[in-house]
Amino acid sequence: MNESGYYFPVIHNAVGIMTPFLLAAIGGLFTELTGMLNIALEGLMLTGAFFSVIFAASTGSLFLGVLFGIVITMFVALIFGLISLYLKADIFISGLATNLLASGLTVVLAFKIFGNKGVILFKNLPELPSLNIPFLQKIPLFGDIFIGHNIFVYLSWLIVIIAAVVIYKTPFGMRLRGTGYNPQAITALGLKPRNYQLAAILISGFTCGIAGAVLTLNLGAFVPNITSGRGWIALVAIYLGNKNPFGIVIASFVFGFSESFSNYAQGATKIPADFILAFPYIITVIAMIGYSIWKYYKENRKIS
Amino acid sequence: MSYLIMEGISKYFPRNQVQANRNVNLVVKKNEIHAIIGENGAGKSTLMKILYGLVRPDKGRIILNGKEVSIHSPMDANRLGIGMVHQHFRLIREFTVAENVVLGMEPKKNCLFFNRDKSVRDVRSVIEKYGFNINSESRVSDLTVGQMQQVEIVKMLYREADLLILDEPTSVLTEQEISRFFDNIRELKNRGKTFIIITHKLDEVKKISDRVTVMRGGEVVAVKETENVDQKELTKLMVGKSVLFKLKKYPASPGAVVLELKNVSLKLKRQEQPLLDNINLKVRAGEIVGVAGVGGNGLGELENVVSGLFKASEGEILFRGENIAGISASKFREKELGYVPADRLNRGSCLDSTVRENMIITKHHDFLKAGVFSQKKISVFVDNLSKSYSITGDTSAPIGTLSGGNIQKVILARELATGAELIIFAEPTWGLDVASSEFVYENILKLKRNGIAVLLISSNLDEIMNLADRIVVMYRGRITGRFLNDRSISKALIGEYMMGIRNDFN
Repeated sequence: MNESGYYFPVIHNAVGIMTPFLLAAIGGLFTELTGMLNIALEGLMLTGAFFSVIFAASTGSLFLGVLFGIVITMFVALIFGLISLYLKADIFISGLATNLLASGLTVVLAFKIFGNKGVILFKNLPELPSLNIPFLQKIPLFGDIFIGHNIFVYLSWLIVIIAAVVIYKTPFGMRLRGTGYNPQAITALGLKPRNYQLAAILISGFTCGIAGAVLTLNLGAFVPNITSGRGWIALVAIYLGNKNPFGIVIASFVFGFSESFSNYAQGATKIPADFILAFPYIITVIAMIGYSIWKYYKENRKIS
Repeated sequence: MSYLIMEGISKYFPRNQVQANRNVNLVVKKNEIHAIIGENGAGKSTLMKILYGLVRPDKGRIILNGKEVSIHSPMDANRLGIGMVHQHFRLIREFTVAENVVLGMEPKKNCLFFNRDKSVRDVRSVIEKYGFNINSESRVSDLTVGQMQQVEIVKMLYREADLLILDEPTSVLTEQEISRFFDNIRELKNRGKTFIIITHKLDEVKKISDRVTVMRGGEVVAVKETENVDQKELTKLMVGKSVLFKLKKYPASPGAVVLELKNVSLKLKRQEQPLLDNINLKVRAGEIVGVAGVGGNGLGELENVVSGLFKASEGEILFRGENIAGISASKFREKELGYVPADRLNRGSCLDSTVRENMIITKHHDFLKAGVFSQKKISVFVDNLSKSYSITGDTSAPIGTLSGGNIQKVILARELATGAELIIFAEPTWGLDVASSEFVYENILKLKRNGIAVLLISSNLDEIMNLADRIVVMYRGRITGRFLNDRSISKALIGEYMMGIRNDFN
């Protein structure tokens, strides 16, 4: 027990920190299932981060802020999708372009609006509602995991469940997966793989918009490139989670935990700070290597 | 009573400058099995893609049941009761049979969710109604090729297709699967379905169809009642000139042993039945040894082992006395060995590379000058090759833009040009038209005359009987018979060895 009121504050924080990873990865799962490597997650998230905090501050409403953030992010995703799917640009290049655009555009707009290229603080932001039940939060693990988080954390869990239902329980989800497995089979049935791919990109825009909002609204500020590689880590989480919504929850928790742990370790240990800050990224690399080895053995077993 | 009339259909593909269909008329009667035959590029597939809404015609109209219809997509075709089974299956291997069948027309639950139970039930009832032999809950990746084809047909029946288009349906099936497949087709015909079958194989046309339309060069050249024509006449119509059925064979004058397989076996881990079981084989200079068998009985494995792609579990493969079992592909290429693989699109060529690059790929080190390709050297080689093997067209175009026959010509030219002492041919004419096949045969015979050893692995028995000096028959990974190819042996006899009815070495 400590002054924060949680039994395992590291775990409690991890659950909060994992939310943007989780949201971006769930969106990315849709594009992944239709057979596309969506490297634009990072840029889409950054777009959402910037516009949601600006609109939240200017309208004074969290809801409107997030809504506009999502709409603009989905619009960027739409352009990215149209260029990649209908104008047949290489999706890797157009994804890269989306990332560069988001990174440049947000800084330029911030400078234009606020005359500042650095950190922009918003003082009059409404506070994020959160779930506080003091007597439940003291229960070890249960309290750490389920109680005391802001609304986005619970929203992200809801989105995971909806995503799982859509992917596995609806005709749309079946066609989506079919598109990734064998687009020719989809074409032969008179369906259009591109339509499902575009829908998937729009969905990734939707979740990345929220993921970005989580970052800035939580902080009450916009920092240039605030996503700092979270979109890329989300991409890793998709593979690490074995392209399964619940696997992605676990993978996202691993990344959330490593970041939470590095925050904790900075104060509590004598490990050099540089190393501690690199910890989440080291975990990413180790996780990816471990995943590849596991996958290799699993597939080899199937053959022999 | 005409059920389907396609009238004055024309289609030009500007990209490859091909008039695929020129004023084609096709009439299909209700409840008949109608075969469409023709060489590669005769326009059969284009015509069927137009009927199925995958390609839009430039001209012409389609009349179904007396009414003119327009078909813009496979969904339109399905609505009109037309279904198509492609030569290369369009299935999702990771899905179950039921999921594959209902995809695109999924039964729903609460207007929103996929109704798995109903789809399993519905698909099972279609399977049972028409007497197929698949489980609607199996995963497609666990099925045999024959069963996958059944899934494709069930997919169309689920969509209540009355007219089924089958594109080269037997090309991927084994003999046993083919006879089963024909039983299924006849059963469906008895239940009122109509079929259009595209094929190369004339014996199957005779066996299964009621009428036959012959196409050549994008046009229809004849429509016949099947019982009134024989295979010779059909061939004549198809190719438009008389074909030499009897190839000029030269007596073999075999020299030294070039290739010898000694007790070669191939066994996978945790598998009882070996894929190759104690194979002994000799190929001498100046002779053609044919290995015959039905697909799935070890021909593919023999190809892989001899060409060095699989390492034999036991035994030796001697090339001029040197053991080459399991050598790397690059070592293989350094020796005087040529290899024309069965999978000419993936293994025999690199489809995105140019014809030129494909021609030099096996010996590209010979064309280097100070570490860089000498384009002049390459051009001389490529021009020579193109001339001697009559390869027409632009050699700087990707090889994938050529027809199957021309791709095989390029591979053949490449393998023959390098001065090999032994050439391995696997299914050299699979999927090729008559003219291209003839070209391949002539070249194989020429090799023999020039004293080169040829190992011909083929499931096409006619091919083996026409070319080989000695015949080895395989069944279930074992050699069941060895013959000198003289007049004393018949196709029927070899067939009995291929089917495992006879075995000299039990």
